[in-house]
Amino acid sequence: MKTFSWLIRREFWENRAIWMVPVVIAAALVLAALFGKVELTALTSPDQSRVVGGMVLSAFSVTFFLIMSLYATWYLVDCLYADRKDRSILFWKSLPISDTATVLAKLFTGLVAIPLVYFLAADVSTVLIAFIISVRARSTFGSSLWQPDLWLQLQALWVYLIVTTAVWYLPFAGYCMAISAWARRAVMLWTILPPLALFLLERWFFGTHRVGSILWDRAVDYLPLAFHSSSDHAAWMTTVVDDNSFTAPSSVWRLIDPVGFVSNPATWIGVVVGIAFVVVAIQLRLRRTEM
Amino acid sequence: MPALIEARDLTKKYGKHTALDRANFTIESGRIVGLIGPNGAGKTSALRAILGLSPYQGHLRVLDREPFTERARLMQDACFIADVAVLPSWLRVDHAIDFVAGIHPRFRRDRAMALLAKTQIGGRRRMRELSKGMKTQVHLALTMAIDARLFVLDEPTLGLDILARRAFYDALVNDYMDETRTILLTTHQVEEVENLLTDVIFIDKGRIVLDSSLEDIATRYAAVAVTADQLGAARDQKPFYERRTLGKTILYFERPDFDKLAVFGEVLTPSVSDLFVAKLS
Repeated sequence: MKTFSWLIRREFWENRAIWMVPVVIAAALVLAALFGKVELTALTSPDQSRVVGGMVLSAFSVTFFLIMSLYATWYLVDCLYADRKDRSILFWKSLPISDTATVLAKLFTGLVAIPLVYFLAADVSTVLIAFIISVRARSTFGSSLWQPDLWLQLQALWVYLIVTTAVWYLPFAGYCMAISAWARRAVMLWTILPPLALFLLERWFFGTHRVGSILWDRAVDYLPLAFHSSSDHAAWMTTVVDDNSFTAPSSVWRLIDPVGFVSNPATWIGVVVGIAFVVVAIQLRLRRTEM
Repeated sequence: MPALIEARDLTKKYGKHTALDRANFTIESGRIVGLIGPNGAGKTSALRAILGLSPYQGHLRVLDREPFTERARLMQDACFIADVAVLPSWLRVDHAIDFVAGIHPRFRRDRAMALLAKTQIGGRRRMRELSKGMKTQVHLALTMAIDARLFVLDEPTLGLDILARRAFYDALVNDYMDETRTILLTTHQVEEVENLLTDVIFIDKGRIVLDSSLEDIATRYAAVAVTADQLGAARDQKPFYERRTLGKTILYFERPDFDKLAVFGEVLTPSVSDLFVAKLS
């Protein structure tokens, strides 16, 4: 356990972008809230306040989450490749750390540690932004951002997102790591090439799209599985502000669908495939010390 | 007590190329062993196998472990520097010490700090800011602070200037070596290390050509410089290698009759580098 925490720390030393990127985004958003133009109409009903406030806060979180996903993908593709490229793997392998521990620490960093850092940055910046906006536009919109209940919901949403995306995207993460441990050069290209080649070959020779649809389903099915996404579900409500109609989740508690997520076989098939890829990555890490 | 390293029929193939061909050798504890061979002879393949960095065929025990499957545990009692420039460029000196101290049960931080204090290297500097010689000093400080029984060095001084090389080997022998430790190193600059070695293993084309202590070399090999008129008589003693120098020919013998050689002149023990050239030609 002690070794594991050192391995995570080591990833933060190597990849300073893990915390620098979210800090920069957070700073930019706070600056925008401080000096940007706040142009808002009055919100009259508590319902309006809830929906608009929730939407603004989740928009911030979504921004962080999307950038985090891109960065985490890049991290996973690079993490077992970089130290082979600069040969520093020969230093790491001179230490009493098993390759299994190394690979698992990097997987954990990509799927859990990096999202947590972004979560923290999103949290701190939304508190600041909510405070700034509520001061700058107190008469109208301000209090809609300043709701403890909403705040708590956002925390729950982040934790739920981190856990469920880590499970759902484990096969993608494991695949990236296997390529990262295997590629001798152009690791990004090698990550894209095999699925693309499979997709094209299948299309040319069989005229079918099975590979494409499996990958596509894995990429987009997360949202409908993990959330009650259809807007006629009770979790959603519609509010009209200035003749614009907004449909938004009424509450995170009613939006998330952990039972649906856990009970779907696709979730567990993905976990099995993901573990298989991670095992491949560990085996490659054992054998492939240099390029 | 079993040998520290024991290899029997150690073989390593890369596709059709055989890098190690049924190599047999043993290394006892408390020795400084030079694994010597020309480029591409299989030195690095042998070390990679010993350190558990690559799979192999044949029998190999290092510190009574099977290196490939037990690398992590092996590295608690063994350590290595595989050429000099492998400390990652982004790593800070103080972080490197913290990390190794955090994960290595036999690392002695005070010792590493004492070794580093002798240098002019600041703790907050990153490896990319250090010269090759400084990086070597940091790596050596990190590694020598580990209470390991086996220390393996692969071409440790490659790319270093003569001053840094000399300092490196001085530190190794004076600050590190004692009877509880064993050093195994490879180099192709034999002259530089022959005075500190206790044993040599010559390797060529994946095969072990010689595995001997220096004491045994003195009793087993001899070199005599003879003039042209003695050459025919000296050749009757069956030298395995001849080398011509100014006006004389140096003949090399294995297990000769020393009394018979003495009539041709002074019988010398060949130096490791001479023996290396003689054996591999």
